[in-house]
Amino acid sequence: MASNNDSGVTLLESLRNPDNKRLEEKVKELREREEAHNAKAAQRLKDLIASNSTLPVTISSIRLIGQGSQHTRRSFLDRLFNPILSVNRDVPYTLSEALQEAGSAADKLRRFEIYHDVSMFIDKPEPTDPSSTPTDINIFLSARERGRINLKTGTDIGNVEGSAYGNLLWRNIFGGAESLSLNASKGTRTHSSYQAVFDTPIASDPDKRLTIDALASSTSKPWASHEEVLKGAGLKYSWAAKGGSSHQLSYSGVWRQITNLAAGASPTVRTDAGDSVKSSISHTWTSDHRDNPLLPSRGYLLKTVSEIAGWGPLRGDVGFWKSEIETNAAVPIPIPGIKGDSGVSFSTGLRAGMLYPLPVGFSGAPLPSRVNDRFQLGGPTDIRGFNIGGLGPRDGNDGVGGDIYAAFASNLLFPFPRVGKDTPLRFQLFANGGRLLALKDKGGNTSQSVYSTIATLADGLPSLAAGVGVVYAHPIARFELNFSLPLVVRRGEDARKGLQFGVGINFL
Amino acid sequence: MPSDKTPNTKDAAPPAGQTSLSQHTSKVRDFFSIPAPVKTLFDKAPVLTYPPNDLPQRAPKPARIPSLYVFISKEDAAAGRPSYNPSCLKWQTFLNFAHINHRLMPSSNHASPSGALPFLLPPSKNPQEAPTPITSNKLVKYVEEQGKTVEESSSMRYEAYQSLIDHRIRDAWLYTLYLEPLNFSAVAYHLYVSPNSSNPLVRASISHQLRSAAEAELLKHTAIIDTDDLYSEADKAFEALSILLGANSWFFGTAEPTLFDASIFAYTQLLLDDELGWQEKKLCRALRRRANLVQHRERLLVRYFGGL
Repeated sequence: MASNNDSGVTLLESLRNPDNKRLEEKVKELREREEAHNAKAAQRLKDLIASNSTLPVTISSIRLIGQGSQHTRRSFLDRLFNPILSVNRDVPYTLSEALQEAGSAADKLRRFEIYHDVSMFIDKPEPTDPSSTPTDINIFLSARERGRINLKTGTDIGNVEGSAYGNLLWRNIFGGAESLSLNASKGTRTHSSYQAVFDTPIASDPDKRLTIDALASSTSKPWASHEEVLKGAGLKYSWAAKGGSSHQLSYSGVWRQITNLAAGASPTVRTDAGDSVKSSISHTWTSDHRDNPLLPSRGYLLKTVSEIAGWGPLRGDVGFWKSEIETNAAVPIPIPGIKGDSGVSFSTGLRAGMLYPLPVGFSGAPLPSRVNDRFQLGGPTDIRGFNIGGLGPRDGNDGVGGDIYAAFASNLLFPFPRVGKDTPLRFQLFANGGRLLALKDKGGNTSQSVYSTIATLADGLPSLAAGVGVVYAHPIARFELNFSLPLVVRRGEDARKGLQFGVGINFL
Repeated sequence: MPSDKTPNTKDAAPPAGQTSLSQHTSKVRDFFSIPAPVKTLFDKAPVLTYPPNDLPQRAPKPARIPSLYVFISKEDAAAGRPSYNPSCLKWQTFLNFAHINHRLMPSSNHASPSGALPFLLPPSKNPQEAPTPITSNKLVKYVEEQGKTVEESSSMRYEAYQSLIDHRIRDAWLYTLYLEPLNFSAVAYHLYVSPNSSNPLVRASISHQLRSAAEAELLKHTAIIDTDDLYSEADKAFEALSILLGANSWFFGTAEPTLFDASIFAYTQLLLDDELGWQEKKLCRALRRRANLVQHRERLLVRYFGGL
């Protein structure tokens, strides 16, 4: 009885706690075997392709094998695949060319983000098939469509901002990789924000996108003692250019309200309180060749933003031409005695912008800028050592913004000892500064006032701060904790001595 | 951080524990206090301070006199003409009675700390600090603080007559300005809608907001809006005010005009101003029948706004 019971217990025990070690070993062994098999297969395929790379082939068919329900339109896929079918080409393929073309088509399919995973197979048609020629190959793509509706809720914490959001994403609405995204969020600084974005690729090209969006939001701007309420809509067209740069052309019409002023709001902000409509066309060009945008160790970024508002047929209540240029470059610094990449790098950024007042419509006097159109400078993500909106013209406690600015930052980054250069953790020494100026009043002569203000940029040293800190580049955002000291300031500018914490994607 | 000066009420507490607590708090304080070398560094920064940056072009020029934010066009503000909003005009007139020199700033309700105009912004004493705005309910006190006086009527009936203006006349005013379609498009639209934006959608939205706010305001006192009733009540109110004024220059027989004169002038001026372009003139006609009220308005206009 007792022994029976004993064996029963051990059996149960062993069932409950299977020999983990042995099981693990088995799994590991299996995995290794599979990997070895795959590697061998890949190697064989590589050899095969290499030895046959110049083999003339014709792509006779491309077949997408979907699993589950299929919503994607045939015409959408035809536009993607037809151009690479041999029927539609004058020049015959070699095998490697054909594979490359098919691979890039598969890659495009992946980038529409409507499929989970796309894998490619090649087959030769049956030689007995009378319609096939000996050079024919068939391409099979296997892909599983992603769920069409995706609902997501969560919380975000950013620069002195906490928020909760809900997002509804509807993919592949009309079977052509169109998507509709509805987003609602509430936070400490963005009191409320509702956004609807409809996005569609043009001519089955993931690099050409048309976006229509509508927005309603209310955001607190404590550095200028007000709350900005926005209601607007826009149309964007973005496309990729040769050389890895991208363009975006957009129109937007926004009704802005400056309201809910704080008790200590300055007369400048009080004057700008109320309604205004901005109707503008803008163009953004980005060429990003950095190895890691959040913690670059080599490469450069060039970006320009141009916006024209109010002028000519655009109308609205504000008129200006606004141009901004942003550059950022990083170089690794070799350390003697350390082989390869030392992890030490130097990065420098430069930004400048100008707002040129224009009349609204076809005639009239140029309109002076308002606080919501002017540039703001300062804060943990651009000029460290100053509070947000801390640089430039200030009325009382308000950063009222400026029309012309130039800013720079230099950072020397070191990996942490022991932690190593492969972690996204760095120690930094930085110096940054800049100037933000309001246009001078030259009795209505706009170009003269712009020139003389630009000349003033070089009057004396720029407002400057320097310090040391720790940088952590998380895959979605960069975190910085810095100790900084202001060196040069203008009276009234809101500099910050001591610790400052910053979270952002785009650091100067 | 607990202070180590807190009297220890529990005698039973062992002294050793207390010392360790105070040691602990002083340690914490040491941690948070700035070390001496850092403090000297802090005191040195910034090394160089330049004069302040100039303010943008739209920023109001600094002034030695207070600014009164009201609904008014730019040209009228520069000329010191009356505001087109009754509550703004009431306080503008009141400041003129008190001989408080001020400048007028065209503005909207968004600029006001209370959500409604007018408010007064005293001149800035210190460029680093914005002055605190004074809302209309604190203006009487402000005038006293400035050492100026405006005569006050001590009549027992003051409140009763004030409520005639604040309810009967105001309700009829709201109706005639916002809810009479002809007047809305001819008068209110140009005063309260088009200055905000040139965009037709925004204008339509603001028009709708204004009209529904006026309607909601009227429905606070009654269940339905009875036009004839509103106008006849206002007519009776004008009659009562006309009898009250009689042959006097100012209400309640005072030697100088009071806040009460300003409150009635705020409506009579606007109803009798032909430049506003009233289309539906029922309320205007009711007022014109009272000759002494018309003269009262003209007297104030000449004396405090430099004539017509």
